[in-house]
Amino acid sequence: MPDSPLVRPFRYAWEYLKEISGENAYDRYLAVHAATHPGKPAMSRSEFYRWRQDDKYNNPGSRCP
Amino acid sequence: MNRLGGYAIWVGIAIVGAACWGVLALYQGETINAGWLLFAALASYAIAYRFYSRFIRDRVLGADDSRATPAERLNNGRDFEPMDRRVLFGHHFAAIAGAGPLVGPVLAAQMGYLPGTIWIIVGVILAGAVQDMTTLFFSMRRDGKSLGQMAREEIGPVGGAAALIAVLSIMVILLAVLALVVVNALAASPWGSFSLAMTIPIALLMGVYLRFLRPGRVLEVSIIGVGLLILAIIGGGWISESSPYAAAWTFTPNQLTLALIVYGFVASVLPVWVLLAPRDYLSTFMKIGTIALLAVGIAITLPPMQMPRFTEFAFNGQGPVFAGSLFPFVFIIIACGALSGFHSLVASGTTPKLIQKESQVRPIGYGAMLTESFVAVMAMIAAVTLDPGVYFAMNANPALLGDTVQSASQAVNGFGFSVSPETLQSTANAVGEDSIVGRTGGAPTLAVGISAIFAGLTGILGAAAQAFWYHFAIMFEALFILTTVDAGTRVGRFMIQDLIGNVWRPFARPSWLPGNIIASALIVAGWGYFLWAGVNDPLGGINQLFPLFGIANQLLAAVALTVGTTILIKMGKLRYAWVTALPLAWDAAVTLTASWQKIFSTDPAIGFFAQRAAAQQSIQAGQLNDTMAALGAASVDDARQILVNTTVDGVLSILFAVMIIIVIADASRVWFGIVRGSKEPEMSEAPWQESHLDSEGKEIEREPVGAGR
Repeated sequence: MPDSPLVRPFRYAWEYLKEISGENAYDRYLAVHAATHPGKPAMSRSEFYRWRQDDKYNNPGSRCP
Repeated sequence: MNRLGGYAIWVGIAIVGAACWGVLALYQGETINAGWLLFAALASYAIAYRFYSRFIRDRVLGADDSRATPAERLNNGRDFEPMDRRVLFGHHFAAIAGAGPLVGPVLAAQMGYLPGTIWIIVGVILAGAVQDMTTLFFSMRRDGKSLGQMAREEIGPVGGAAALIAVLSIMVILLAVLALVVVNALAASPWGSFSLAMTIPIALLMGVYLRFLRPGRVLEVSIIGVGLLILAIIGGGWISESSPYAAAWTFTPNQLTLALIVYGFVASVLPVWVLLAPRDYLSTFMKIGTIALLAVGIAITLPPMQMPRFTEFAFNGQGPVFAGSLFPFVFIIIACGALSGFHSLVASGTTPKLIQKESQVRPIGYGAMLTESFVAVMAMIAAVTLDPGVYFAMNANPALLGDTVQSASQAVNGFGFSVSPETLQSTANAVGEDSIVGRTGGAPTLAVGISAIFAGLTGILGAAAQAFWYHFAIMFEALFILTTVDAGTRVGRFMIQDLIGNVWRPFARPSWLPGNIIASALIVAGWGYFLWAGVNDPLGGINQLFPLFGIANQLLAAVALTVGTTILIKMGKLRYAWVTALPLAWDAAVTLTASWQKIFSTDPAIGFFAQRAAAQQSIQAGQLNDTMAALGAASVDDARQILVNTTVDGVLSILFAVMIIIVIADASRVWFGIVRGSKEPEMSEAPWQESHLDSEGKEIEREPVGAGR
């Protein structure tokens, strides 16, 4: 279905939000995993997000006060 | 022709920018519109980004897009992964922007709008954004090494150790100051306390949802969370109006302090998915949404600025919000938004592992920092569009203001501004609070400013709108301060576990429960002490602690700029080393002058030890001397407390100053060694490898090598 010019900006914004919030991260992980470790089982969605969250906060950077 | 058009646009932007600056500096009328400030800032940013950041990228750093970044070389789809530059910009900005750029400018507004604004804009262009961009680049060339590791490898073990101690002590001061801002904003405010308390069950709900029901669906859970948050703010209004519950939700500063300390400890010990991660999502969306809304609000309403260009406090150093004259204290009080050492921790860590192409350090490093600076400019605008009398009645040392609107009105007259008791009361009524007198910490002032701007946008909703927006703003600030407190306590906890782990192995394991509990308790005790001392400081804790926090933050910036200068010299770029060395010289001058004054000034309003001596005299004499009374102390007990606080603060000032001197001295030993040729410029850069990604991150199709395939 082609986007009308009115819908397009919203679609871009939604895609951007999905990208930035990490919703697409699992799909990209699967792609990289399939390419680099063919044949080995990948993490499930729930395992992946658990790993991601724990890793983020166990190796903390910091933020501006 | 195209090229000519390009030049014409930039000349046009330069003229607009110069005209706005001219009006800001010279206009002689009664008030001046905030639009001038907004456009002066935007034009300056545009020119700096187009020309200076490009110069840094091409000449100084020599970014090379044919070189593979760590994200490409080490791509594992997890922590190393080439990320779209627009998405990474969003992540990086959300990670660097916190409450700092909102609080500092509000406090600095006591000197008028011009000094703070000039520093925010010039500082970010020549120092802050340069620091972020160079640190990001150098960390990227080293596979995402942290600032501490880079300091150790490029300068030496002494510089490295000083950097580590600096980071840990800054963390403690930072958390205490931020928690103090929350306590000051929520004390005696049932509306604010209720709404903020409700963020805990909301976060728990979101955490369970993300962990068990719909893993990874961050967007939908954030939409639910923000919806519940709005309900919590509306519910708070209802609580504060129905008296039986209002009393139950009204807390003293000491009760709030205790609650924050317990909360910080629990949040640090618990797994992240329970509280920290969901709260992080919530505050990120709130933060970006509110900042965008504020920009729209200011651009549409274009409020006039009520504060003069300079107040007399810029020159006499007698300001009631914080003591000390323009130089060096404006440059200390406004750290975030102009030059923030904390960013060097973000820029050397997660972000460098995600960059697709080397040249993208420009939009991400330099660009995100310009955006944060813009947030600081908006905070300045929100503060200076308030009635100056209201501003001083909210921000001056509460001991000088007294408890009533009458005493506050008198005190403000004493500062050379005027505000009637009726205005103070009606402002408080408009935002749904009992009183706004002595609401220090910057957050309430900003909330009044923001609520006035937003209420201007939503004026049709009537008078209730301003009270809603005030508590929305308070909630938004408190929410992400608490997120920083959670996250910062955790960072500190890991650092302590790591430190002790060097001596005793099991401590280094993050999952080992006793180590977790002991390290959490240590870090919470650290900031909890300063928070408690700040809340009970007879002279107003924020006035005492905020300069210390600024000094600490600028100290970290000095470490980052020193590392940057060292690496530039090692890369054989001595003639461009001024790009980081000049901001370093300025930063060191500011920080050391401020430390000097805090340590040695004989003015008891500024010098910790002069204050300490006055307190000691009062204690020995058994009655307050004139100096103590003039500062606002009310009893000999107050003097005892001041004695303890000034001792601790003074010793800390000495520690910070010594750290800066050690880091710079140790680094200059390396610099002169290399320049004289007596030292080999050893670098720990990862070796060159060819990149196979194009500028959009797509794999480049290559001709098959050899005909036999």
